[in-house]
Amino acid sequence: MFKRPKRCVVTLLCLVLCLTLGISAALAAEQAKTVKLGWIGSLTGDQAVWGQCELNTVKMLAEELNDAGGLLGAKIEVIGYDTRGDAMEAVNCVRRLTGQDKVVCIIGPNASGQAIPISSILEEMKVPDIATVATNPKVTVVDGKTKPFNFRVCFIDPYQGAVAAGFAFDVLGLRKAAVLYDVADDYSQGLTEFFVKTFTEKGGTVVAKEAFKFGDTDFRPQLSKIKAANPDLIFMPYFFKEVALSSNQARELGIKCTLMGGDGWPSEVLIEMAKEAIEGSYVVNHLDFDDPDVMDFKARYIKKYNRQVELNGFLAHDAFLMFVDAVKRANSFDPVAIKNALETTNVKGITGTIRIDKDTHNPEGKEAAIIKIVDGNYIFQQKYAP
Amino acid sequence: MDWFYVKGILILSGINLMAVLGLSLLTGFTGLFSFGHAGFMAIGAYAAAFIGVNLGLPLIVSLLAGGLVAGIISLFIGRLTLKLKGDYFCIATLGFGEAIRLVLDNVQVFGGARGWPGIPIRIDLWNVVLINLAGIAFMISLVNSRHGRNMIAIREEELAAKTIGIDTFKYKMISLFTSAVYAGIAGGLVGYYTGFLQPKMFGMTKSTELTIIVIFGGIGSVSGSVLGALLLTALPELLRAFALWRLVAYGVAVIFIMISRPEGLMGGKEITFKGILRAIGFGHKHSKAREV
Amino acid sequence: MTQFLQQMINGLSIGSVYALMAVGYSLVYSIMNFSNFAHGGVIMLGAYFGFYFLAVFKWPFAFAFFGAALGSTVLAVLLERVAYKPLRMRNAPFLYFIISAMGASILIENFVIATIGPTFKTYPQVLSREPFQIAALFIGRLDTMIFITSAVCLALLVYFIDFTKVGKAIRATAFNARVSALMGINTDMIIILVFAVGGFLAGVAGVLFGMKYTVYPQIGAVTIKSFIAAVFGGLGSLPGAVIGSVILGLLETLISGYFSSQFRDLISFSLLIIILVLRPIGLMGKPSEEKA
Repeated sequence: MFKRPKRCVVTLLCLVLCLTLGISAALAAEQAKTVKLGWIGSLTGDQAVWGQCELNTVKMLAEELNDAGGLLGAKIEVIGYDTRGDAMEAVNCVRRLTGQDKVVCIIGPNASGQAIPISSILEEMKVPDIATVATNPKVTVVDGKTKPFNFRVCFIDPYQGAVAAGFAFDVLGLRKAAVLYDVADDYSQGLTEFFVKTFTEKGGTVVAKEAFKFGDTDFRPQLSKIKAANPDLIFMPYFFKEVALSSNQARELGIKCTLMGGDGWPSEVLIEMAKEAIEGSYVVNHLDFDDPDVMDFKARYIKKYNRQVELNGFLAHDAFLMFVDAVKRANSFDPVAIKNALETTNVKGITGTIRIDKDTHNPEGKEAAIIKIVDGNYIFQQKYAP
Repeated sequence: MDWFYVKGILILSGINLMAVLGLSLLTGFTGLFSFGHAGFMAIGAYAAAFIGVNLGLPLIVSLLAGGLVAGIISLFIGRLTLKLKGDYFCIATLGFGEAIRLVLDNVQVFGGARGWPGIPIRIDLWNVVLINLAGIAFMISLVNSRHGRNMIAIREEELAAKTIGIDTFKYKMISLFTSAVYAGIAGGLVGYYTGFLQPKMFGMTKSTELTIIVIFGGIGSVSGSVLGALLLTALPELLRAFALWRLVAYGVAVIFIMISRPEGLMGGKEITFKGILRAIGFGHKHSKAREV
Repeated sequence: MTQFLQQMINGLSIGSVYALMAVGYSLVYSIMNFSNFAHGGVIMLGAYFGFYFLAVFKWPFAFAFFGAALGSTVLAVLLERVAYKPLRMRNAPFLYFIISAMGASILIENFVIATIGPTFKTYPQVLSREPFQIAALFIGRLDTMIFITSAVCLALLVYFIDFTKVGKAIRATAFNARVSALMGINTDMIIILVFAVGGFLAGVAGVLFGMKYTVYPQIGAVTIKSFIAAVFGGLGSLPGAVIGSVILGLLETLISGYFSSQFRDLISFSLLIIILVLRPIGLMGKPSEEKA
């Protein structure tokens, strides 16, 4: 007795959907010779800071490219969808981008938790995706099998964790480390795992490993405990809001040791809020902020949007570069041809030379930049590979 | 209009519907408010994936097993908290949902917060629809049975229900158990649809979303829940054009429906075969849509 | 020993922030018998008001502080008029209020993300970050200020409720709204007043929170802890909310300090539930049946 109303509702729903989407599709069809590039990520929700910056970057670059004559004679149209940080929504977005909008390639998302579940859709529709900051190794390789349509432009958690641990042990000569991490965050857990592994393998000791949960703003209970363990270094692998709060609180509690973090740190807002607390800290980063190419991109972005560039912007920039390069080499907008070209990418981006490994779909040999915070500025120290 | 995309929305609606049906029994028919149903989904999801991947059992068995595990855990929670006043039960479920997530974040066997990729994908539209139809049929027969009426009595006036001899605690337990099983099955569907599980997927937002759907559809109405799940899953997709303003529009829609039609879409009524006939001009004048 | 004392100080300071937020929940609950989940959104907006008055308009601190509190007072009243009054007029059950509140909190949070932007904002430094040092103990200047402000606000509130005529009317309405209305109390005005007071405290809490930590659209999520504290203390009881908050703050601190920071919430939630099972009306709650 319920079959009918349900079917009825389904038809009704389809009708509504058809109408709305039909109109937008009709509008889009008017412009001839445009090629669609998809983007997904968080425009709303907890991670909106990073997502909005990525979409802005991709849109700006596409505009610049179109003004300069386009790509292979076609204009690039960027279609960005919000996932609000939700895996299921990411799947829907990719279904819409590949099925309805017929994009040739997708940039994003900005988290591993969304990059992993979309892979089956990508494979079904045969459209490549270049993840910006999805650092979990399993985004591109699961159980030894490479996912054919997933690529990434950033380095992975094991690498970053190892760089931080190696630099702290070998270069800074520190032996006692403490870790404070976000137990509910995949990125933070990943970095912690590999930092601890490398640091202890090298012969150092991790004297305290304390956790907080995403959404916390007070870290003094954990920091008091860390203080009692008296470490030489506190590794803080999480994002800049929590970094600002926890570093300030650490100094308030009289902790004087060196702080160190990963690519979640770099941001102007961090300096603004915790200038004194993070003075002398080290950051593992993707790029050197004083590089002329980086400065140029930053200036363009700030001019257009009147906002600071977050780190994701730089990676989105390079993902876009990878896409353009692949299209040029494939000399076609066929998604599979783009995917094949992406596998042999070797292009110089602003985050370093991106050479995609055919077997892992990760950029190989990308050196990390070690940055020290001096007088409220991110000062490049050296390139470092473990 | 692309079928591939619509299919995705329909599958997602189906998954939500499964969880919403269960919650509808608890909130809509028994009057208990839960903030932790995402926690039951998480348990079901991990249990179903574990059973399917490690023991190689077929889909339907692993889904049911996942639901059962969630149900059994709900009995412990219920035993402790169902004697408490409504708001305390609500807090207990909230705490429980967060606690489950915390445990899963820390359990490295399932990948911890970093998630569990590589679960085989076994869900397609047809099996979601079949599972949902079975779920709906069972729910209808339950709410129309003596047990269902006892639950409604508890919702309406617990003291009076007790006075006429209804074992309110027992019926609350049955209601919680059933709803947890439904949520567990829905969780299992999530895992087998996305091929990936992460504790983050089952946060507070998910729980509130489910509750909003139940109330939106109208408490005490199964067809309301069906309609609510379909509409509210599709709504954020329809609002894509709003980009940044998408969730603002969603919030406005929720408030608007509450103040303009606080009884929800269906307002305790059901869509029935007879009702449809009447609406299109057939059937008797006096036959009324059945009220619950 | 030093570490223990330091942890107690940490716990007290966390607890006093929870307390300021929890009181808002309890106030509204005592009158309207539902948990106002949009309270977190009002606190967040209070924090943003304070930020704009202080950092952008460069008002003196005292003006900015009161400006923010007044701003959120207006907002809280507006919220009541738009999202709750229509429901009140229909005598809708508490479930609908909760959903309306949830819709409002989604709306407020995403409105801020869409207009002001998702990046967090930093208050200009009003007080020095240099802590007081007593032996090996460190006490933040801000913490001291927050502790004192909370205590003063709460004392004033208790005075207002317990010793003024209007306070008497509020207590009467909380006790029995219908009879109070018959006795000539304008319950509609009382409700506005309660929301205004709650909103004022939310503004104070928001500014203090913003000064101590930072301002961002998800501040509302922090208030879930204060809600738990309010329930734990006995919803509807002001002293209960304060004591519940302090206990929760201390509990969290001691658990992370001495057991496991990984499982902090799990342990603190379980303890709360156990206490609730032993004392089902919360620490200071009134043993009455639910009105809704």
